Amino acid sequence: MISMQARFDRVMELAARGVARRSSRRGFLGSFAMAITGVAALPLLPVRRGAVAEAAELPAKSEGVAHDSKATPPKIVTDPNSCEYWKYCAIDGFLCACCGGTSSTCPPGTDPSPITWIGTCQNPADGRDYLVSYNDCCGRTTCGACTCVRNEGEKPMYRMSLNNDVNWCMANDNPNYHCSVSVILGVAEK
Amino acid sequence: MWHDRAVSTKLTRGGLMRLGRISVALAAMLPTAVLATTVVPPPLAPEHIGIEKLPPRSAHWAYLLDVSWSNYIDERVYVYDGDAGRLLGMMDLGYYGNFAESPDGRTSALAATYWSRGGHGERTEVVEWYDNQTLKPRGELVLPAKRAQVGAITPFNLAYSDDGRYLYSTNLTPASSVSVIDVAKNATTSEIDTDGCVQAIPSAPHRFSAICENGRLLTVAVDEKGQESSRSISDAFFDVDKDPVFVQSVPTPVGATFVSFLGDIHGVDLTGQAVQFAPVWALVSAKERGRWRPGGQQILAYNAPLNRLYVLMHRGGEGSHKEAGSEIWVFDVGSHKRLARWPVAVAKHGGAVALLATRDSEPLLYVATDRSALLVLDARSGRVIHMEEKLGQSLWYMQNPS
Repeated sequence: MISMQARFDRVMELAARGVARRSSRRGFLGSFAMAITGVAALPLLPVRRGAVAEAAELPAKSEGVAHDSKATPPKIVTDPNSCEYWKYCAIDGFLCACCGGTSSTCPPGTDPSPITWIGTCQNPADGRDYLVSYNDCCGRTTCGACTCVRNEGEKPMYRMSLNNDVNWCMANDNPNYHCSVSVILGVAEK
Repeated sequence: MWHDRAVSTKLTRGGLMRLGRISVALAAMLPTAVLATTVVPPPLAPEHIGIEKLPPRSAHWAYLLDVSWSNYIDERVYVYDGDAGRLLGMMDLGYYGNFAESPDGRTSALAATYWSRGGHGERTEVVEWYDNQTLKPRGELVLPAKRAQVGAITPFNLAYSDDGRYLYSTNLTPASSVSVIDVAKNATTSEIDTDGCVQAIPSAPHRFSAICENGRLLTVAVDEKGQESSRSISDAFFDVDKDPVFVQSVPTPVGATFVSFLGDIHGVDLTGQAVQFAPVWALVSAKERGRWRPGGQQILAYNAPLNRLYVLMHRGGEGSHKEAGSEIWVFDVGSHKRLARWPVAVAKHGGAVALLATRDSEPLLYVATDRSALLVLDARSGRVIHMEEKLGQSLWYMQNPS
């Protein structure tokens, strides 16, 4: 079993390699390198906590974290094929778990994107906030199963490291977007 | 075989005889007067296959971009007549396509990704020049394999200069840049580094502006050879962390008009040497702020003769900025007064994801939903004029003809 730290290192290695290989321009480094640096320095990253508290005041929605405001605790979703699974808090795309992969692995025949966007999600089982890397899986057309659109903490594309609208398969040999995974990078310290 | 044919013939004959007897019986029951007035129409004339010509262009037409979300390599652009409530034709938009119509209305530029084997094989990035009379491509220009592939469609990833001379096509590797295309020469003249800033919002003469991570605008001027001649950076006009603006904007009298996640309106005047910012105003009251938010894919629409802004709104919290609209809010841009709240029949048609107002003084408001329904409204009253229950698969963006 790959340890969390090893996985984290692997993701960072891939991300950094992707940046080094493809970004000679100062422009991209102005935005994305900050995310890499930020992830490497986990304790310094701001953690978005507002979403759950704010949404609790609103009517239940079909997607997202909203739940009714009664005292009963929200049901914990453990199914990685469900859009409400906690790791998917900032995902926008098709869930690879429904496409032949899992919540953190790509389906056969596809390749993971070496560059990603990052989210911060709270695991209801342990109450911890985790940094999550949303890699895309690439090389086939869109999977078409389990569309999941959640955008907690997501920003427009000028804040690219927190954006899920750009095609993160863009740097792959085949940039055809298929589905998205969520890979735990580590605990986001407060 | 022979046996089968004989049986078949026998059955057929028997059937005919029975039918004949029934017909005679029925005829006997019919009044004589009816039989006397029955006229058998002449046979239909033979038809000849042809190609329908597009009718004269109308301000009430719209280009509808269908991103084909479940099979993204098959995006398309529909040409739709909002008066007739009729699809007029279609163009192919490949994968992560962008669309722009030339200022003279004669040409549509469609930039997209294609592979030689459908979704794999050799990759080609290309802008195709479609003739708007025939809806057929009449030329193309191959682009470098770095064209920006962006899900949030705006007019600013592929945009003509005001005079139609240049076409600006954005790149993302994820290093950001803009390719300047000389349209008459069908050639790329330069690739301009935009320093991490994204999109190319055109302004005259031969300038474009890109939005930067720190809330500033980078404006680049392009010379007669299609090369960068100067660049400048504006002050920040929004706070990216507290309340970012959506990347789309619509032109209003105060300039390019953006809306923020919480519903503030930012006007940016790009006509002068230095960028000017209009006073910020809010779509929402203090009580509504944070509870009612703009959201969807194409959130804003504007009509100049009425000076009205239309906004897709929904009840939601942080992270709901792509949620479909349950209402369309209508504002007078001069007074900032909200004129109406038009509810969307979400249960019937789905939530609204895209809005487009036509540019004339008797405007239509196109509304596309997350079920790919298309509603055409009278933009003055909100009355539904036409409805397509399902047009294509994912109508996320619409554009006026020039």
